Amino acid sequence: MVGLSTGEKRFIHGGIAQDLRSDGRKRLHFRPFCVETGVIPQANGSARVRLGATDVIVSIKAELGKPSSFQPDKGKVAIFVDCSPTAAPEFEGRGGEELSSELSFALERCFLGGKTGAGAGIDLSSLIIVEGKVCWDLYIDGLVVSSDGNLLDALAAAIKVALSNTGIPKVNVDLGPSPDDQPEVDVSDEEFLQFDTSGVPVVVTLTKVGRHYIVDATLEEESQMSSAVSVSVNRHGHICGLTKRGGAGLDPSVILDMISVAKHVSQNLISVLDSEIAAAEANAKE
Amino acid sequence: MRDLQLSLNQTQRVRLQVALQQLQDLASQAAAYSSVTIADTILVNNEDGILKGHGTSELDGQVVATLCGVVERVNKLVYVRALRARYKPEVGDIIVGRVIEIAFKRWRLEINFSQDAVLMLSSMNLPDGIQRRRTAVDELNMRSIFEENDVICAEVRGFQHDGSLHLQARSQKYGKLERGQLLTVPAYLVKRRKQHFHHLEQYGVDLILGCNGFVWVGEHLKTGEHDMLDDQEKRPEISKSNKIDEEEQERTFTPLEVRQHICGIANAVRLLSALGFILTVEAIKDTTEAGVSSNIEIKDMLGPEFYVQIVEREVQRRISLLRKKG
Repeated sequence: MVGLSTGEKRFIHGGIAQDLRSDGRKRLHFRPFCVETGVIPQANGSARVRLGATDVIVSIKAELGKPSSFQPDKGKVAIFVDCSPTAAPEFEGRGGEELSSELSFALERCFLGGKTGAGAGIDLSSLIIVEGKVCWDLYIDGLVVSSDGNLLDALAAAIKVALSNTGIPKVNVDLGPSPDDQPEVDVSDEEFLQFDTSGVPVVVTLTKVGRHYIVDATLEEESQMSSAVSVSVNRHGHICGLTKRGGAGLDPSVILDMISVAKHVSQNLISVLDSEIAAAEANAKE
Repeated sequence: MRDLQLSLNQTQRVRLQVALQQLQDLASQAAAYSSVTIADTILVNNEDGILKGHGTSELDGQVVATLCGVVERVNKLVYVRALRARYKPEVGDIIVGRVIEIAFKRWRLEINFSQDAVLMLSSMNLPDGIQRRRTAVDELNMRSIFEENDVICAEVRGFQHDGSLHLQARSQKYGKLERGQLLTVPAYLVKRRKQHFHHLEQYGVDLILGCNGFVWVGEHLKTGEHDMLDDQEKRPEISKSNKIDEEEQERTFTPLEVRQHICGIANAVRLLSALGFILTVEAIKDTTEAGVSSNIEIKDMLGPEFYVQIVEREVQRRISLLRKKG
């Protein structure tokens, strides 16, 4: 990322203070989303989301596994993000690892709730096949192809779109004679069940620059941030997760205000994403 | 410059296809040039007296192109000019660059070229304006003139023996650029003209089209304000401003109306460069006026509807140009 001169930094601060950013957006406007589904045919579900110059691809693979002994009635989901060196030269080799693990952790927090699995945005009980014995393991992999700020929101949107594109194969279960036997599972190749995404949340990141917060920051605006709060909100306006980045401290009243702003913005974002998903699905069928 | 990602709906896609097709037809109609691709034969009348220039080579007695581009003939010289070449500097070009490093008696600038350009301390006016020999104190105070990451406007003075550029910024109109934004466009979209500094009076905005593809859009500063002396007085304020009230800072921000014009012009430049149209002041002014007159929000200038409208406008403009000529 090239540096910015003092004059340019003041211009950015001034724009945010006056509610007119460098590309004409207001503080709470997103860049236009460009959504494609089914970009990886071998995966159970995949999506590519472009938000301005930020470009991310998410793929979802479902494999059979054993549920954990703490939650025998729930399936398992693992989220992993990889920052490709094509996004920025500093991501080459192990350079992108810190950012990748930060993003993966934040996404897991937003979508999967706490350690006990309570409050998860994705319904894990729909992934169970035979309680205690067989369940679906979902591996969600994200790839950052190009970065122009706001990676978390783009990845979360891509996960939502990919989940709506995911087809879990139908299984025929043959329970053995005694309850201790491993059941035989026959995975069908043809029939698929669509994953239920009505409860999946979106993530809205509010970046604080000076005294104001902006939504969907570009890379230059992010370099000027003092702190950022990412809130994951679902369709009903409930908060599913909260992450704070940045070294500057925030007064608790400011955080509450940011949460309410994020809730307000997320309703619009959910409707935009839903219409983009519908358009992408319609395009894919043609 | 990254391309715009647009989701066009069906009607917009159709309109865009029609307009692009019309542009191509007009281009091939108006073409008096011959475009070639690699390994095309170039027709030459008198094989003996022909000088084979850049982008050509001899193959089996025929002159063959080694680049994709347009054939140019000047007297006995035949060469192929590539359309999408990297920036090729010439003496006298106006350049906008960013300081990367302060080295021994010089600043190194990044200018979208294969090598960094060099601005010598002796090619720069001193803050007190006196013409004198640069002393060791001047060298130590280089950072007070230009710091790292500053955006500077300068002129190409010449080439060094290793191919890198020497710049000079002796006139009042060159110097540090503040209060605006820097855009990057492909260098071949900015053609060399008489004027690269444009002051758009109706908007109060300065537009500098650097030949290297860096375009500066900023608030208009009267030529005296690039003056170093003012900067030196303002500098202690700027370094303290992080701690001073934000209200102090807010008073010195660019006024909202000028900012709206700056963002509108910047969006026009982004749009034209995404479309691949040559950047001229007239085209940029025209696009900005189209944006203002169609009453869309500034951010929607980068949207699909305005994109298609601009292509259609360009088609109309070229048709009317052809009619005037023919």
